Amino acid sequence: MSALPNPAGAIAPSFDAARGLATLRLTGPGADNVLDEPLATALVEAVAWAHALPGLRGLIVSSAHPDFCRGPDPDRWLATPDAAALLARVRRVQQALRRLETCGVPVVAVLAGAVSDGGLELALACHRRVAVDDPRLRLELPALAFGLLPAAGATQRLPRLLGLGPALELLLRPAPLGGESARRAGLVDALFADHEAALADAAGWLATRPDPAQAYDRPGWVLPGPAPRSTAARDLVLSAAGALHQRTAGSQPAPELLLRAIHEGCGLVLDRALEVEARLAVSAARSATTGALIRTLWQHRRQAEALTGGAGGAAGQRVGILGAGLMGAGLAYHCATRGCEVVLRDVDPAALDRARERWARRSPGDGPAVPGALSPSAHAAALARITLTLALEPLAGCALLIEAVDEALALKQRVLAETEPLLAPGALWASNTSALPLASIAAQARDPARVLGLHFFSPVERMPLLEIVRGALTSEATLERALAFAGALGKAPIVVGDGYGFYTTRVFLAYLVEGAELVAEGHTPALVEWAARHAGMAVGPLQVADEVGLALARQILAGAQQQLGRPAASPGTRLLAALVETEGRGGRAAGAGYYSYVEGQRRGLWPGLGALSAPGRVGQSVARDSAAQVGQRLLLIQGVEAVRALAEGIVTHARDADLGAVLGLGFAPGTGGPLAYLDRLGLPAACARLDALAAVHGARFAPPPLLREAAARGEPFYPVTE
Amino acid sequence: MGEAFVFDVVRTPRGLGKSQGALYTVRPVELLATVLRALPARNALDSALIEDVIIGCVTQTEEQGACIARWGVLEAGFDPRVPGVTVHRYCASGLQAVNQAAALVASGYAELVVAGGVESMSRVRMGADGGAQYDPALQWAVGSVPQGIAADLLATLRGIGRHDVDAFALRSQQRAAAARDAGHFARSLIPVCDVNGLPLLERDEHPRPETTLERLAQLKPAFATLGRQGALDALTRRAYPQLEAIEHVHTAGNASGIVDGAAAVLIGSRARGEALGLRPRARIVSAVSVGDDPVLMLWGPVPATRLALERARLTLDEIDLFEVNEAFAAVPLAYAQEFGLELDRINVDGGSIALGHPLGATGAMLLGTLLEALERRGLQRGLVTLCIGGGMGTATIIERV
Repeated sequence: MSALPNPAGAIAPSFDAARGLATLRLTGPGADNVLDEPLATALVEAVAWAHALPGLRGLIVSSAHPDFCRGPDPDRWLATPDAAALLARVRRVQQALRRLETCGVPVVAVLAGAVSDGGLELALACHRRVAVDDPRLRLELPALAFGLLPAAGATQRLPRLLGLGPALELLLRPAPLGGESARRAGLVDALFADHEAALADAAGWLATRPDPAQAYDRPGWVLPGPAPRSTAARDLVLSAAGALHQRTAGSQPAPELLLRAIHEGCGLVLDRALEVEARLAVSAARSATTGALIRTLWQHRRQAEALTGGAGGAAGQRVGILGAGLMGAGLAYHCATRGCEVVLRDVDPAALDRARERWARRSPGDGPAVPGALSPSAHAAALARITLTLALEPLAGCALLIEAVDEALALKQRVLAETEPLLAPGALWASNTSALPLASIAAQARDPARVLGLHFFSPVERMPLLEIVRGALTSEATLERALAFAGALGKAPIVVGDGYGFYTTRVFLAYLVEGAELVAEGHTPALVEWAARHAGMAVGPLQVADEVGLALARQILAGAQQQLGRPAASPGTRLLAALVETEGRGGRAAGAGYYSYVEGQRRGLWPGLGALSAPGRVGQSVARDSAAQVGQRLLLIQGVEAVRALAEGIVTHARDADLGAVLGLGFAPGTGGPLAYLDRLGLPAACARLDALAAVHGARFAPPPLLREAAARGEPFYPVTE
Repeated sequence: MGEAFVFDVVRTPRGLGKSQGALYTVRPVELLATVLRALPARNALDSALIEDVIIGCVTQTEEQGACIARWGVLEAGFDPRVPGVTVHRYCASGLQAVNQAAALVASGYAELVVAGGVESMSRVRMGADGGAQYDPALQWAVGSVPQGIAADLLATLRGIGRHDVDAFALRSQQRAAAARDAGHFARSLIPVCDVNGLPLLERDEHPRPETTLERLAQLKPAFATLGRQGALDALTRRAYPQLEAIEHVHTAGNASGIVDGAAAVLIGSRARGEALGLRPRARIVSAVSVGDDPVLMLWGPVPATRLALERARLTLDEIDLFEVNEAFAAVPLAYAQEFGLELDRINVDGGSIALGHPLGATGAMLLGTLLEALERRGLQRGLVTLCIGGGMGTATIIERV
């Protein structure tokens, strides 16, 4: 054995002279291997060291840690704003991997645990990939969610390995793959039960003296599947572009650049194709959209999650859920999957039956395990942790009660009166209300210090946000425990003050009503929906109104009118009233709303909408610009509401306002959130635009004093950093 | 500026553009040579007097690649001092060739020029020449969808339904059959013969006069799968956000036929015509091309027509007959709708739906069809226009002399 001095601490190399095998064990600090410049430099040194070994026949790359390797944290991309410097960084990593795959001997990657982004790209640069197949194994490329392109060769090696079609699917719709799925996809050559077996296979394969060149580095190689620039390849790429636009409405530049990288690179020699990838990756990373995505979805989210003290601590906690509707049942199931002992109580046996049916439909099917998804045994164990009851007694001794009954104040007050006496000492009582002020619900509470709001979003298991409402009398200890509970459930919390609609519901309502205003003014409904999605909203305002239910929307609107002093009537609110009361179109659950539905399936906008609108003031808008204006207006109205909430102290940090809107409401993530959006427009420009909108559409657009003052002082919501 | 005159127009019959077609065994350069040879032959002309041969061809690859115009000249046995140039303006290439020839003559740079076009769609597959238009980078910056999707988009925007396009297709078939049976095409048709001089095709092969509205209605929309499952409809939303969905109305029965064929037009100055004893049949009054929205793509004939009229200081009422290429039925229908034209002035002898659309040749063929219809009906002025890939339009106005 001979070893190389290892100053970077990233790789521990060793050599089995008898078999001619060098092993490069990744030994990143903190049990964390990250493919960045230090590891790239260490790889280059290690390959040079191995190359000089007498009798070298092959290389094995493996990890000393439970996880193989990952890419750098997304915000690492923001650390090098200079394009040339960033490009040089990317190229050095690419070239290190290229050195590895052309080092003259075959290289096997032994994968285990998380193999993500740069880690997967490192594996792709090896000539064979074997993996330790256990539930921890996941191969994935998650960086696209932050607007980042793979930049260590994946956009080029995947098409060359699998062909254009499968590569497009894997790259543009990145989902984590478990061992069996990765093997079927062709990312992994063989799966083994443990590390020793995988290493033995690697050594055995290397002993057969395989070709040390990648297939695409051999003469006569052709891309599998349709040839680059062929009609079939063109159709694949065009269809991928169409499918992408169906999903994004053109609101996300990063996947568009990714498709460019695949298309433009797949017909070039690999070395030059990597240049194309690097340039496009740098262009994506430096875009305003990607910067906003990383700040909100990575930095702000991690700051929020840090408040919770982490994900531990749910096991064995006894949680009572009151009301077995959609939210109550979902919440019960989610708490149970996180290890809580759950008591789900409803007064209606049929509601409990429906909850059971909902859970049964969630049962994981056969087929390869999906990383992160529940296994059949975990599903069964979760269900075993749920007690369904019509009685109050089983709720006794719960550490936390969450009511999820209908949004009626008197009902919630009664439920509180009934259940508060059952609470264990130090236990919490939470309302899942989306709008009703805590002060009114808790008016009769024996101990208002332990009452708070926990506003979950539906579907509970997927929506990452928890809006924690701190009432005037809610104690610090209650808040601390609620934050820990959020961590236990894997939710990112924002803490907001008490007041009608709290934070998220107010912003949501502004969006929903503005959609109605636009239709009432005579804008083509299809244009309104598309403009919203083109601006980045996850769902158009009319569709989302249908999902919530127009009657509920009107109820919240009435609350906002009474309690927040919002104007009582407008063309949009009259449109909502006409839809519900005259036309009997209450939304999806009613089988008719803005959209028509057939057997619960949305079938297009209701043609009768045109007759309910009053064209003339703004008129029929058809051009590209007016779609942009409609989209901007839909974002601005939410921005104004977020500023108001900040001014009123409902939210205390811009970060909470942005994170809450993006994670809770599907607010355009590429803007960073409603306040970051105002920042990006420039606050003086935003004020001017809002003044112009207010002149046409009324005071709801008027810039709040806080915004005007911030604009005048030249102080954006987020300080400009270098 | 001087004037340019049309002395003669010839074309091959259009053969089915597939391996069962009568012209499938004929090399594209031979198709072109067939029409080129006919011009000096039937006009008692020394080919050496032809100063240039401008040929439209769309799919310029494989045996239509390089400069097929030059090789057509040589294959036709023209004097080798006659040069050739191939032009590409997608579906208007044949008319573009005519317009360039007219420009050469009107400018005085040349006195006698042949324009024309050729396309063997059975042998050189449409799209085989690749192109930048489906490149993702261009897609994000500009947007472009296959023409069939654009045609359905046009129909949806203009409220043109399936029945409308099928009824138009039936009319095209009926008019083409009537014209063919009455011998209206006889004067310009040059049969395509084999190496022994035996005829391979003497009349247009594509028309389906026996078709009915019921049969047309049974055909499946050709672009629904591509548009919906293939998701390409989504690529039009950025430009047309007001459309919730595209109605896919075009089928193999109401879109232009895929065919083989070639055409040639003899164009020259009045003086050279007189010197050679050639009788001018029409004057080129106006010849224009315009760019328009690349996503909708097929609207170009409308602004092209407006510009051609403006340049000629003519009004719509002063045009007797129109040839609007039937790339898709929605194109002439939307054109007629926009200008308030009755269909009895448009495509009076049928069009590309019945007869077929040999891409590079069609423009020159339509010019001939228009001229003959004007002559037969004793009318004065006509306008020919085609929609074009990439969102362009070309139009030419002619006037009998």
